[in-house]
Amino acid sequence: MSDGYTILSLDEVEAVPHREGTNLIPVRHALGFRPAGVNAWKADSGGQVMPPHEEDSGNEELYVVVQGRATFTVGEETADAPAGTLVFVPPQVFRSAKAEEDGTVVFVVGGSIGEAFNAGGWDSFSIADWYRQEGRNDEARAIMEQLIAEKPDYWAVHYNAGCFESLAGNADAAFEHLRQAKELDAAGDSAQYFSGDSDLDPLRDDPRFQELLG
Amino acid sequence: MNLAHIDELDRVEMPDGFVWRPVRRHFGIRAFGTNAYTPGANGRIVEEHTEQTYGHEEMYLVLRGRVRFTVDGKDHELGPGQLVHVRDPSVRRAGVALTDDAALLAVGGKPGAPHEVSAWEYTFFASPHVREGRYDEARRLLHEGLEEKPGSPPILYDLACVEALAGEGDKALELLNEAVAADERFRKYAQTDDDFVSIRDDPRFPHADA
Repeated sequence: MSDGYTILSLDEVEAVPHREGTNLIPVRHALGFRPAGVNAWKADSGGQVMPPHEEDSGNEELYVVVQGRATFTVGEETADAPAGTLVFVPPQVFRSAKAEEDGTVVFVVGGSIGEAFNAGGWDSFSIADWYRQEGRNDEARAIMEQLIAEKPDYWAVHYNAGCFESLAGNADAAFEHLRQAKELDAAGDSAQYFSGDSDLDPLRDDPRFQELLG
Repeated sequence: MNLAHIDELDRVEMPDGFVWRPVRRHFGIRAFGTNAYTPGANGRIVEEHTEQTYGHEEMYLVLRGRVRFTVDGKDHELGPGQLVHVRDPSVRRAGVALTDDAALLAVGGKPGAPHEVSAWEYTFFASPHVREGRYDEARRLLHEGLEEKPGSPPILYDLACVEALAGEGDKALELLNEAVAADERFRKYAQTDDDFVSIRDDPRFPHADA
């Protein structure tokens, strides 16, 4: 292989426990893929494939069943999805999937209409947070530093680094990242996250948090 | 639900032998570029190419069967759940299916730029209709492409081919000259393109020495 390309097996990427019992295969992080958001989820029979959620306005996603079988729910519809099935979900529509076979793997591609893909780093945060819980703090911090190095001017990477430090109990570092996030977020997109994100709960009683919101 | 199995997608057989399964087009995806491919009669599943024209970074994920990729001159045999990520647009890549059931998903785009539908999607989709003489359908698809990408030289050029083949010489010359005016490379292509046999002697044809 050369610097110009990479071969990767989804089986070889360390899956990371994510919220609501899901397991993320962090493809974008593993590859450094830039044109779109790419990740995968793995689950055994009866398990949740990806967290049930809706995407923000403008965010389109395509789910592709690579191995196994899943039952997808999109909006109020439910459908069987064996390997080789593609499911497209437009923005702001509820989506969820349950694995019907052990070893089910679902690949997902996402992006925003009319915008260059900008990795905000929720996936990097998820890996770092799992490493932190496992006591692998140096690896965890290295992932967040890599994310910031890739997109130093993007508010969301600093926000996610703030969440990481909040959960790691490093309030000073967390506030520093969150201040940077606020400064860089000219459009005010971060406000909804500051107000409702449980990752920031350890900081909410700190007077600096109210200063930040103000 | 907006769902399809890969075998239910359109089969667009390309001259190089691979079969394009238009995913982005099928679902009307606007945010990113993605397509699927299955092998044609000669086993080809990814045409040999670089992405220098579009500057695209790409990845190819094997969904089914086995595929031998040749990337930067080196062979890699991949199965389901394995992928090749080609970060550098100048790296030459190709793929041959090693099993008849092979299928892969490609995702790509220009880093740092909003996704734009590529002109090739329209010219590829129209090409089987051109080869089979279904000129009205080819025209409809290429005009759809011009609505999405007004003034696109490759779409204008292919539409000129269709009009020339359909015996509409005046329209063909007008479209061909429009394509050449927008991109001089099409002047060179036109000199040897058999689709223009019927109009090559016309003084309005964009000759190489013009």
